[in-house]
This record gives sequence, C-alpha cells and structure tokens, in this order.
Amino acid sequence: MSESLTIINFLKLILLTMVPFVLAGQGTMLGGRTGVFNVAQEGIMLVGASVGFLASWLSGSLFVGMLAAMAAGGLFGLALAYFTTSLKMNQFVIGLALFFIGLGLSTLLPKLVIGVTLTPPLIPTLQDVPIPLLSKIPILGAIFFSQNWLVYASVGLSVLLYYLLYKTSLGLALRAVGENSAAADSLGISVPRMRYAASIIGGMLIGLAGAYLPMVYTGTFTENMVKGRGWLAIALTFFGGWSPHTIFYGSLFFAGVEVLAYRVQVIGSIIPYQFLLMLPYLATILVMVFTFRKSRVPAFLGQNYDREKRVL
Amino acid sequence: MTDETIILEMKGIYKAFDQNQALDDVSFALRKREIHGLLGGNGAGKTTLMNILYGLYRMDRGSVLRGGREIDIRSPRDAIRHGIAMVHQHFLQVETYSVMENIVLGSDVKHPYTMNLAEERHKVSELAERFGLQVDLDAAVEGLTMGARQKVEILKSLYRGVDILILDEPTTNLTPQEVDTLFESLRVMVNEGLSIVFITHKLREVLSVCDRITVLRNGKNILTLGRGEASEEAFVRAMVGEEMNVEKSIFFSKGKLGEEALRVGETPVLEMENVHLTRSDGIALLKDITLTVYESEILGIAGVAGNGQRELAEVIMGVQPPSGGRIRVRGVAEGSASGDLLRQGVAYIPEDRLHDGFLPKANVATNLILGFHRQPPYSRGVFLDWNKVFETARGLIREYNIKTQSPADAGGNLSGGNIQRVMIARAFSRPAKLLVAHNPTRGLDIPSMEFVYQKLLEGKKGGMATLLLSEDLDELLLLCNRIVVLYRGEIVGVLPRSRFEKYEIGRMMSGVRTNV
Amino acid sequence: MSEQTFNPPLPQKTVLQTAAQKAVPYLAAVIVSFLVAGVFIAAMGFDVLKAYETIFFTSFRSLNGFVQTLLKLIPLMLHAYAFTVPLTAGKYNIGAEGQFLAGAIGATAVGIVFASLPPLVLLPLVLLGGILAGAFWGLIPGWLLYRFSINEILTTTLFNFVSFNLVDFIATKVWADTAAGHPTTIAIGEGGWLPLLVNRPPLHAGILLALALAAAVYVYTNRTVAGYDLVATGANPRAAKVYGINVRRMFILSLVLAGAIAGLSGAIEVAGVQHRLIEGMQSNFLVLGLIIGLLAKGNNLAVPFVAFFIAILEVGASAMQRTLMIPVQMIFIVEALVLVFVLMSDVIGRRRR
Repeated sequence: MSESLTIINFLKLILLTMVPFVLAGQGTMLGGRTGVFNVAQEGIMLVGASVGFLASWLSGSLFVGMLAAMAAGGLFGLALAYFTTSLKMNQFVIGLALFFIGLGLSTLLPKLVIGVTLTPPLIPTLQDVPIPLLSKIPILGAIFFSQNWLVYASVGLSVLLYYLLYKTSLGLALRAVGENSAAADSLGISVPRMRYAASIIGGMLIGLAGAYLPMVYTGTFTENMVKGRGWLAIALTFFGGWSPHTIFYGSLFFAGVEVLAYRVQVIGSIIPYQFLLMLPYLATILVMVFTFRKSRVPAFLGQNYDREKRVL
Repeated sequence: MTDETIILEMKGIYKAFDQNQALDDVSFALRKREIHGLLGGNGAGKTTLMNILYGLYRMDRGSVLRGGREIDIRSPRDAIRHGIAMVHQHFLQVETYSVMENIVLGSDVKHPYTMNLAEERHKVSELAERFGLQVDLDAAVEGLTMGARQKVEILKSLYRGVDILILDEPTTNLTPQEVDTLFESLRVMVNEGLSIVFITHKLREVLSVCDRITVLRNGKNILTLGRGEASEEAFVRAMVGEEMNVEKSIFFSKGKLGEEALRVGETPVLEMENVHLTRSDGIALLKDITLTVYESEILGIAGVAGNGQRELAEVIMGVQPPSGGRIRVRGVAEGSASGDLLRQGVAYIPEDRLHDGFLPKANVATNLILGFHRQPPYSRGVFLDWNKVFETARGLIREYNIKTQSPADAGGNLSGGNIQRVMIARAFSRPAKLLVAHNPTRGLDIPSMEFVYQKLLEGKKGGMATLLLSEDLDELLLLCNRIVVLYRGEIVGVLPRSRFEKYEIGRMMSGVRTNV
Repeated sequence: MSEQTFNPPLPQKTVLQTAAQKAVPYLAAVIVSFLVAGVFIAAMGFDVLKAYETIFFTSFRSLNGFVQTLLKLIPLMLHAYAFTVPLTAGKYNIGAEGQFLAGAIGATAVGIVFASLPPLVLLPLVLLGGILAGAFWGLIPGWLLYRFSINEILTTTLFNFVSFNLVDFIATKVWADTAAGHPTTIAIGEGGWLPLLVNRPPLHAGILLALALAAAVYVYTNRTVAGYDLVATGANPRAAKVYGINVRRMFILSLVLAGAIAGLSGAIEVAGVQHRLIEGMQSNFLVLGLIIGLLAKGNNLAVPFVAFFIAILEVGASAMQRTLMIPVQMIFIVEALVLVFVLMSDVIGRRRR
C-alpha cells in the first residue's frame, strides 16, 4: 500500500477501515438496545483476532476462522448475558472482567497452539471481490464495488438492523426492553430472552470485528493489536446515538480519521508521527465534547431488570 | 347489577421478601361485574397481592382459581392470556413511543414486518369511543398529562380483551374532576361485563365507587364486606388496627383542627419575590413565583405532579440557582448553597427519597447526618467524630422507630417506609426555623402518617414555618393554613383555609384561574 | 458494584469476626478458580502440583523472592488506589496506565533536566514531577466530565492510548538513548534515585511511600469531613448534591487524586527501578490494579492485602514460566476467574439472605 494518496484510494481505504467499527459498533448497539451494556469489546475483539487467526491458520480457510471468531465472541456475549441478566451482577464490572479474560486468552492461545516463536506464521489476507459490472463504473466502481466481501456485508448488516429495529414488530419489542424493561415485561415480552439474544449476536459481531484485523490488515496476530478500537466502538455508539444508521455514518468518520493518521504518516509530514497516531483518540474525545450530552441513550442501558425487586 | 358468580379467587396466598412476610394467608374473591375495593395503608400488601395475580411476583404458597379451575400464572403473559390486566401506579410505558405503539407493544399485530397498524388503530379508536377514553393515538407518551397516560394504560388493557382489570391507586395525580371522569369510565366497564379491582388507601374513594371492599393490614385479611354492610368507623378500625387512637388522630379528624393548632405568627420566614427558573433550552419551569411563609404557618403547595413543585423546593433549598428573582430565608440573602441553608436552620424532606435524599451504599448513621456532617457535634475540625455520630444515630433510631439492626447497617437494607423515617428523623434532628417538606408521608402506613402530622404540628407550635408540597390534596386540606396552587410553574391561586374547597382547587390544578 | 459501606471503627471482636466472614467467599473463589485452571493446565500436559507450588511459595522461599514481591506490590497497590479512590466517589478510572506513564514522563523530565542537583533536592523534585504530571493526566478527563459531562470511563481509557504515543515520542525524539535497542530515554541524574533499604537483593524506599499513601487514603476517606463528602458523592451523587455537597468538584478531585497516585507510581518506577523512561514500562499494571480494586470491592482498606496476594501470584507466575514453561497469561486468567467467582459469591450470598 505505497501508492500515493489519491482521493479514490483514500475513500476506498475508508470503506475498508470502517468494517471493524461498523461490526463492533452495531454489536454494541444491539445489546445496548435491550439494556445490556457491553464494555468488553477490547477483550472480545482481541479474542476474535486471536481465535480467527488461529482457526484460519489451522484450517487453511478464512471463513472457518471467521466462524470461530464469531463463536468465541458469541460465548463472551452469552457469558455477559448470563452474569447480568440471570445473576443480576453489575454490568460494567462483569464487562471489565470479561475484558481481562479476553486480554489474557488472546495471548495465551497462540502460545499454546503455535508455541513461542520469533516468526509467527502468516495467513493469506482477505481478497477484494469486485462486483461484476458495478465495479466497472468509473471512480465509484473502484471505491465502492471493489472491496472485500465483509465491506459489503457490514453495509448490508447496517441496513438490515435499521429495518429490523424500526420497521418490525420484533424491533418495537426489542427497543422497548431497552427503554423500559418493566413495561415490556408487563406486556408479556420476555426480557431475558431478548437480552440473551441481543447480547450473543452482539458478541458475535464484535468477535468478527476483531478477526478482521489479522485477516485484512496484518495476516497475523500480534499482542494488543486492537489498539483501543474496542473502546472507540463504545464511543462510536454514543456518538451514533444508539441507532444503526448513525453508527454507520460514525464508522465512516472514525475510519476516516484512522486512514488519515496512517496515510499522512506514510507520506511524511513535519508533525512527528506519534502525534498523528494520537489522532483517532483525540478526535473521538473532541467529537464526544460536541455530541455526548445530546446523544439519546436507551433508558435502561446498563441496568439489570429484576421483576421482583420492589420499588422502595 | 353485580351478579354473585365468583370469576376469580385467590386462596391462602403467602409471600415473603427477605425476612419480611408481605402476605400471610391472604384470600380474595372477585365477582363478575363488580368494582372490588382493595383497601389498606401502605405496606398492607395490596399491590403485592395483585402483582402475584398479574404474574409479576411468584407466590410462596397458595392457589389462584379462575372460574373454579386452578390456574398457574408465571408471567404477565399468562395473566393476559387468562383475561387479567393491571394498571400500575407508576405507569409502565415506553416514554419515547407513541400511544399506538405502547398499546400494541408485545401483542401479535396483523403486519409484523411492515408495521402497518391500520386495523389495530381502528380497534383502539372504537374502544376509546365506547369507554370515554379518547387520546391522540400518535402523540408521544412522554408529552401527555398524567390523566391521558392513565387512559393509555386502560386502553392497553382493554385492547387485550381482558375481563378483569386491576387498578393500583388510580387516583394519584388526578384532579378531583378527573377522578370523577375515571369513576364514570369504570361504571361503563362494569356495565359492559368487566370486573375491576380497585387498590387504594383512601377510604372515601372505595365508599363512593366500590361494590365490595376487602381490607388488608400487615399482609393479612381483615375483612371483606359490601359497601353498605358496615359503618365507616368499622372500615377505619380495620385499616389501622387497635393500637391507634382514631378519635384523637389528626389523620381521621376530617379537617377539624383546633384554634390552637391553626394559629399563625406574623414574622415572615421565607419570602420569594418574582422567582423564575428557566431551563437551558429556554423552557420556563417556574414563572414569577411570589409567596411568603410566616412563622408557625403551614403553607401548602397543591398541583398535579410535575407542575413545578420539585423545582420550587430545590430553588428554595439552593439545589438549583433561580434564573431570576429574590429568595430570602429569615432575612438571609438569596443565593445560599444548600449546605449553608441547612446550617442556618432550614430542614428539607425531598420528594424522591431514594434519589434525592438517601445513600443506599452508606450506613444508617451516615445517612442520618447527611448535610449536617460539617457541623458540630458531628465534626471537629477536619475530622469526623464517629462516636458522637453513632450516639446521635442510636437516639434517632429509637425515637423515630426506624427498623434496622444497628446504625452501622447498610442503608440499602431498609424498607421504603423506614427510609422515609430516616428522611423525617434527619429533618427534625436539628432545630429548624423553616421546613420544606415534599410528599413527606408518601409510602408510609397510617400510624406513621399520623406520626409525621404530629411532628409537623409540634414544629408549628414551636414557631417553625413549613412549606408543605403534596400531591395528596386531603393532606393539604387537613393541615394547611393556606394553599397555593401551582400549574405549569405558575401560581394560579392562593386560598385561605376558610375557602378550602376540593373542586375549586381541582379546577385551579387544571389551570383555571380564579380571582383571588 | 461495591456494597461498600462507610465503615467506622467497630469493637475489636467484631472486626475479626466480620473479617473472617468476609474471607470465606474469597477463599472459596480462589480455590474454585485454581481448580478450574488446574484442569486446563493438566490437560495441556503440565504438572499442576508443581506449577501451583511455584506460584504460591516462590515469594517465601528466598529473600530475593520476597523482595521481588514487595517490589511488585508497590505499583500494583498504587494502581489499585488509582481505581478505588475515584470509585469511592462513584467514578471509574480506567486511565491509571496513562497517568502512570505521564508520571514517569514527568519524573524523567525533571530527572534529566536537573540531573546535576543533589539528592536532597532532586529526589523530591522527581517525585513531585511525577505526581503533578499524573495529576494533570487525571485532570483532563476530570475537566471534560466537569465541563461537558463526558463519561470518564471512555476518556480515561482513550488517554492511555495517547500516552503510549507520547512515551514513544519522548523516548525516540527528545531524550533518546540511541544505544538501547528499544525506545528508551537516557538515565536521570543519580540524585533522583530512590535510596535502597536493602542492598542485596535491592529494595528501594518506594515501599515506604506506598505504605504511607495507604495510611493517608484510609484516614482521608474514613475519618475526615472531606472524606465524608467523597463517600456520600459515591453513594448517591444526587442526594449528596441536594444536601449541599459540590459533587462535580468531588468528581474532578477524585480523578485528579487518582492521577496523582498513578503518577507517583510512575515516578517511583523511574526513580526506584528503571532510572529512565522505557516504552512498555507500564507492563500490565493497569489491569492488575483494576482486578485488585474490584476484588477489594472498592474498599480502600482492603487494597494493600489484596494487592499483596496478587503480587505473590505474579512473582510466582514468572518463576513458573521460567522453570516449567507455562505461559504467565495462565495466571492472569486465573486472577480474572478469581474476580468472577468472588463477584458470584455475592450473588449467592444475596440469594441466601
């Protein structure tokens, strides 16, 4: 990737870079919309990256790797749902504990599976899949229709989630659980079932987001390779007002800043690169200054629902 | 009108929360087409019993029979399936949803993948028409008045085609006029074949609308009788038990306080002049409030909840700075922070005790000195004197009959009524010149309410000025020298005791100005 | 979280009794976690008994092991306080890592710029430089919270990543030690080094600072009026505000204090151990500090004891990796499991009540 920074290339890279943000952001949003606030993204993404990489390497198939990463993420989602929905434990604390476990597992697993080596193995990275005809359109074709298939999938996922949440009876019920679990429960909607489902599917998406990193960027797993993207995904959901469409736009912005930071560094500039690398984090904080208070948050976000808990 | 068929029966119900036996062998039978009053003070177990029927709580023992056959209700879904619906005191609604969305939520709609609700809308409109429950179906629930939100709750139940409707304290937050309308709707429902359980702690309401009345006390059945089958006194006695002296009580005195108890001083204690409070988005929460509370006066603030009462209390207490105007407490300049006011002898009982007044994670002693902790004797310089704090706490726990194992016990272990006792003990623990009390008796059983009333009158006798903000109009009519009615942050009228009249105040509560 | 109550002194006997009662779930959680982990370790073909023997007894078998444990204890304890002190006010500080590095940068900068000053002057300056730089790093999220109501969890975390790049910049562009194969600065003046309490194995005086801090935190949170304000804010900020406590000031104060504590830890690491700024010197202190703080359930008094326990495990785990080739991450996961089981024991306790 040493071509000069053309606009086309820049835009294409933004779409490429947006994927982990979209997947992790939508995964977080989905759980949050039922009231389960996941803060283990960083750990789940690390596990997704680690497991996805290892499974791909062992099986020789990236697809198997993705499934494995999603399964691992789903397990974390299941654990989160169990501890919070069934055992009613503090969501944030359990999220942190899961983050710790993910962090530890992600480096432990490669050591156990591959052993300690100086040259870790590589997996082939995910290929671009140009869409017939559409990819031939000048400019647009190169930007939008010559991407790897997870780029298309993440767009499709965002559209699907938007439709599901806002245009279906299921979506109405799901959002109601996050807005007022007691009201949803009193109308016969199963709060635990909704929360479990959203948390597990959300975890799968976050796991897949992690697997994207070795499969598209590096071809291998390195310690702490998520570099805060999991935390940024949380900021993204607030920034995106817990809605699929705005989270999608937000992902483009986050990806834009990331691409900018890396590309300017490659081109070379008078600013030391370390300061460019701070950009995604500082930009996120800046954005939060302007949007955080206005962001509409599901009213039951982070709150467990206990039917028999009496209002004092 | 009522027929004798029993359509629902609860037998030998037991339920405990932790060590607290909330229901102890309670039985209850509902006849077809009756309005059955479930009467009792707070903590009697009325809501718990009905929450069991609605599937929100699981009973420890007992059985529920519908049409003579035992049924098993594990969740609200089961209850609805058996034709039972419940309207809770705190409405269970999704604030951001429209009325229509709230009504169909959780039910099977005709078009689940497009959400075309034309058919459902038709059905709801018809129901609204038939029972006199018209509301704008497209309005967001959060913008509706309490009265309208109650209609939404009832529509929700009727839409599900139930024939048993449970209403939990449905008259809270309604004006006397709205209460009358509600009662009319209930009659229509009964005529259409429904049966209604009416939970309340207000005797007058059950006597005016219910066919039969069941009284619970301390989680036990006391009696079940037809409306005409017993005197009012019998019901009162059933509600409060033998220990309470009904004759001497303030609670049952029906507004006949003696001359002595009504005497008012002449020195102004709290003076507010043209006080405004505007939110950051420009919405006015308090408009041009001018009022004075004198020594030994109890000034009541009436109004439907959410018309500026909370803001008024917080502006006086210095929790929120007013956007304009002057507030003077005993001549002290305005703009004092809450801590300073507490030091100067202003006591406060906040409305929302759990959020605004209580530290569930701290122990009881810590809670009892909140706000006074910077003053002697609790502190010496930068250090706290825990021995002194505990000594005081033990005294207050005894005097105010707070049920706790020790002052070192976590506050979160207290029951709602005991938390309210902590609020009251704290407010009266230091000599006060002014008391701002917001719904001080909410959640208390009748003897405890009586206790608070006595404390208020005692304070009054000692010269304390009281601003009593209450949603319980009866409470205000009972205790106040004057009543100020608040509507949308404005004073719509001030009435002296000689002009206290319920419907007059009700009109003012819905915004109708009267010449004063 | 944290059923933390404001615990005033109780009569002696009750202290022992409650301590014993509270220890039971911890012990059970530790045993269960090690049983679970043991199954995995055995499945991977390692000798479980030998592994656990190494983990638990390395700290006590030799003076060197014990000193290593004390040295580990210092940053762990301080990182835990950087979490529990703001938690007392109800704020979650996940930024100890960044504040630690900021402190290390501050201490290094002072130590290099004023390298020639005598110890009596330089050492306090180095420590102060670390404390102030850490406090500043805590002040930024504190201010963002105060001014714009931005959730401190995200900002403190994101500032960790900012600090990594800052360290890289300083260690490669400002005071780079070009001879080292890794981003590292040149050494600070010897006057800025912490004196040794024991020469061989070397134990620096940082342990005294850490213990003094523990005492100060206890007195502040449990005995003073200002501490009451902090605890009341954490117990219910809304009620604290209504009763005259300036809670937003408490929030910002708690984060600044946290930053100062983590900054002190950074300064101690520079002045006592590394004598320079090294990229990656933050190790995994942040996460261990969080685990300790959560295991202590936010109780400041319990922090030193839990930290000591974790320090034993950490020292043992390194030895285990050296001698038995079992990856240290294994122990990290065990620690996380202990946390989960301790939290679960609360649930069981709640249900039984």
